[in-house]
Amino acid sequence: MTRNFATWPIILLLTVLSLPLFIMYLFLLVDTFSNTPPGSLLPNEFTLEHWRFLIDPTITGDIWKPTLTTFLFAASMMVIVVSVSATAGYALSRLALPFRRFVLSGIMVMHAFPSVTLIIGVFLVLQFAGLYNSLIGVILVKASLMLPFGIWIMKGFYDAVPWEIEMAGVQDGASRFTVWRRIILPQVKPGLLSLALFAFIDGWSEYMLPRILAPSSDFEVLSMYLNTVSDPNSSTYNFNIFKSVGLFYTLPVLALFVLFQNRLMNIFGGGTKG
Amino acid sequence: MQISIRNFTKTFDATTVIDDMNLTIRDGEMLALLGPSGCGKSTTLFTISGIHRMDKGQLMFGDRDVSGLPSQKRNVGVVFQNYALYPHMNVFENIAFPLTVRKDAKADIDREVRAIAALTHISELLERRPGQLSGGQQQRVALARALVRKPDVLLLDEPLANLDAKLRLEMRSEIRRIQLETGITAVLVTHDQVEAMSMCDRIAIMKKGEIVQIDTPADMYSNPRTSFVAGFLGNPPISFLSGIAMENAFSVAPIKLRVPLVPQEGIADGTQLKLGVRPEHFGPEGDIAVEGRIAFAETQGRENLYDVALADGSVLRSIQPAGRNWALGDTVRWHIDSKSVFVFTDDGQRL
Amino acid sequence: MRASSPHRANLLGLAFMTPAMVLLLGFFFLPVVLTSVFAFTNMSTATGISGGSYVVTGNLLRSLTDEGLDAKTIDALGQSNYVIDQAGLERARAAGVDAKFVAEIAERLKDRSFTSSSAFERELKTLPSRPTRVRDLKIAAGAFEQSVLNVRYASRGEMEAALSHMLENPPEGAIERIATASYTGWTWTTDNFKNLAIAPDTWRIVGNTVFYVVLTLAFNVAVGLFLAITTFYLPPAGSGFFSVLWLLPRITPVVLYAVMWKWFTWEDGFVFNIAQDLGLPAFNYMKGSVASAWTVVILVNGFVGASFGMILFSGALKAIPVQQLWASEVDGASRWQQIRYIILPQMRWPILFVTSYQTLSLLSSYEQIWLTTNGGPGSTTTIWALEAFKTALNNYTGNLQYGLGAAMALVLVAVGLVLSIVYLRLFRFDEMMSKPKIEF
Ligand SMILES: Nc1ncnc2c1ncn2[C@@H]1O[C@H](COP(=O)(O)OP(=O)(O)OP(=O)(O)O)[C@@H](O)[C@H]1O
Ligand SMILES: [Mg+2]
Repeated sequence: MTRNFATWPIILLLTVLSLPLFIMYLFLLVDTFSNTPPGSLLPNEFTLEHWRFLIDPTITGDIWKPTLTTFLFAASMMVIVVSVSATAGYALSRLALPFRRFVLSGIMVMHAFPSVTLIIGVFLVLQFAGLYNSLIGVILVKASLMLPFGIWIMKGFYDAVPWEIEMAGVQDGASRFTVWRRIILPQVKPGLLSLALFAFIDGWSEYMLPRILAPSSDFEVLSMYLNTVSDPNSSTYNFNIFKSVGLFYTLPVLALFVLFQNRLMNIFGGGTKG
Repeated sequence: MQISIRNFTKTFDATTVIDDMNLTIRDGEMLALLGPSGCGKSTTLFTISGIHRMDKGQLMFGDRDVSGLPSQKRNVGVVFQNYALYPHMNVFENIAFPLTVRKDAKADIDREVRAIAALTHISELLERRPGQLSGGQQQRVALARALVRKPDVLLLDEPLANLDAKLRLEMRSEIRRIQLETGITAVLVTHDQVEAMSMCDRIAIMKKGEIVQIDTPADMYSNPRTSFVAGFLGNPPISFLSGIAMENAFSVAPIKLRVPLVPQEGIADGTQLKLGVRPEHFGPEGDIAVEGRIAFAETQGRENLYDVALADGSVLRSIQPAGRNWALGDTVRWHIDSKSVFVFTDDGQRL
Repeated sequence: MRASSPHRANLLGLAFMTPAMVLLLGFFFLPVVLTSVFAFTNMSTATGISGGSYVVTGNLLRSLTDEGLDAKTIDALGQSNYVIDQAGLERARAAGVDAKFVAEIAERLKDRSFTSSSAFERELKTLPSRPTRVRDLKIAAGAFEQSVLNVRYASRGEMEAALSHMLENPPEGAIERIATASYTGWTWTTDNFKNLAIAPDTWRIVGNTVFYVVLTLAFNVAVGLFLAITTFYLPPAGSGFFSVLWLLPRITPVVLYAVMWKWFTWEDGFVFNIAQDLGLPAFNYMKGSVASAWTVVILVNGFVGASFGMILFSGALKAIPVQQLWASEVDGASRWQQIRYIILPQMRWPILFVTSYQTLSLLSSYEQIWLTTNGGPGSTTTIWALEAFKTALNNYTGNLQYGLGAAMALVLVAVGLVLSIVYLRLFRFDEMMSKPKIEF
């Protein structure tokens, strides 16, 4: 990095630009631990009462069941995305397939293509398949919508594994499956991990699909729970409690993000096409 | 195990890389596939190993036709140019891999791996990861892994290309030693003529997907069939003079050079010819005098290297023992040893 | 001959591809097909999505009158008939009519029919065991009432049979016409596209969409570039802080993110309070005025998207050999000159890439708008994708128009498809498809 220029004007500019974000996130954190008198911006007392919803289901309803549901939702979606992408990405990167070019271009188009436009079609598919209003349906849809991205990312990781390693494996007498399982898969572990993290975070935050495709089912994910809490017409409406619930909801994602920032950085620019 | 390649043709996306090649590798010999970059050496090697398919032709291991068999069923060991060790396994696991996929007993695997590690001198390295090894050590591991399941054939694709000069020298004799000790039929792909000549029983020289000559290193050197082969072998390389046939001699009129053509068959006067003179056959001793000026001089320690520019601008290379030294710009009257020169037609065929 | 065919299938490959293909076919390909198919129907909540039935309703009679069906037929459709048949007798018994009376009806009036209740009741009163109370008589009469009005017929045939039963001598083609009109299921139509083409709203929404995409994109690229370049010049701690801060919107669940913006811009929110203290106009910025609503929409989406550009641009910046920068500094370039002449020219491809990629995703992103302004005030910040979504899946009246929504989505699908294919060509992604090297 060059050191020939002063940094303070840059920091100033950046700070001004980032101010809205900074304020929003700062107050998100502060408000969950404090009370603010009406009409004032600054809090005047520290309190833990906004976190009571964790142990007292009468405040906003039981939070632990939606948390568990959300975890199951995100985890199953992650498993589907990772396993299907790991196999399909390998096949597309390394194996002879009929119509391989066509399939590959199709997946690239789907990857670039904004899949949310299909939501109406997906809605109809679920209706016909009898999966409307079911957790499984939403998981399948969410996982499928993420697949082109996942396959693409994994294909990129497989492409980076030298062919010679694979040739050596075949030469050593291993079947293509064994080669994949014992030699190639360990090489793309970083890719699998990044994709898994990304899929989990994505699934954990999902709001649209459960809301649209399973509006009246008995499972409730945290995003829907949070949306209920945030409804100003609801009797339990309290902005600070909402923020606490929101923060609680976001914490796992934040933790993953902080822990694996570098891995995620690569994949967040997922549009880089591998 | 004798390997024969018959009428082998290979095409990549409409470009024919190998055209109707025939090659037999004798049982227990080490054969070098030598040729410039892109001539199809690796393609040939990968076809023998079962990675590439033949578009046409037949591949025989002994009297078994293996053309349609995948690598797994050919029992061929390959050492890749970049070694292709499995980065996540340690040396032991790398070498043991061919045996574990074969589901050998644990005790057998252990014994075999240790035996081959001893042969390749890497017994102390078994616990290390490939990333913790030097190039030469990785090379040995790759060799051990290729040999551990006693393949019928050993294929080496430029195994020394990634090593420094000293290691290369050492590994050359190592590989040859191991090949001799195991008696395995081996094919070595290289574009380094010294490597080919020093390690192999026979050399097959390739050019643009064809084998131009196949011979022992000594025969190949002293009896090249084409100017391409003559130019490929020898360091410093052979130099060529252009001239015409005149009264049963190779003649360059402007410098009054005449070298009698040894085969006395009638070659029409005026035919364009090329004369190949190896550097060791041009110097103060010899029978046909040529006058020129030293245009380049290089000391290599034991020997000196000179480029002598002739009056018509063509250049003859010479190598002389150190001691009697000529300086740049000296005019010399040296001689060509006419019994050792090669005469080629204009399209490169030896007369 | 073992000439290698380009379509040589690898069994493992097929097995490895199958799960992906099933899911992609089911949830990508099929939805596209369904969207295209249903764009040509009038499917809605009212019609249901499976087949419908045939019902003549009061509403239908009214609209048939408006369309000029003759009054006599309409009248007849509205009328009831009284037919003494086996089914009617069963109904009468079930309704608790005196068994003796039922038997009498069966005996004396079997297979007769009456066109009005008064005539039928008059006839009933002549029977010996008629009930004494008028109410019981009416119950008995009601059991034999037959009408097409509000009766559901499963097939067209049944409806036509019922109609011809009801109408004495209907005008030419009337039965077919009524039967067609009485169908409650969905039908094929191109009206969706016709209506879209002539509706004045359509062009407003198109305008909104273009406005939204262009401005948000400009924000994303400009801020992304700015962030990448500034963090590039900062020491690691500073650049780390700002990149994490800007990445937060991307990982924050959208529900929370939207409500944070509400807190920021809503009445009594943060900006509101500050503005009040400063004596500036304070109102609900998210919905209070068109200009402020647009600002919020663009910021909400811009802040999410900027990190995408930031990451890509940072990557590209790091790829610039640092010697080039040193050289320019030695040559006496100011920072601005360094950016202008060394950095920006090398950013052309990343910028083009981010622009294309974001255009596509912005075209179809309505989640944030839906959760913040919801297209308001009025429909001033409604974009195409949001309108399609609301039309088909989320409106307050409860009548979801799947057909029209699908037609709107199909427009987006077509635009998206064309754009993504253009981008693939542009960025030569097909060159990344090398053939498998192991040929067995
Ligand atoms: N998979 C492939 N697709 C298309 N062309 C190929 C492929 N593999 C090799 N070729 C071409 O075939 C020719 C021979 O390649 P090959 O790798 O056999 O050369 P080589 O003699 O091993 O060269 P080098 O000494 O550089 O390794 C080259 O022109 C190469 O470009
Ligand atoms: Mg090669």
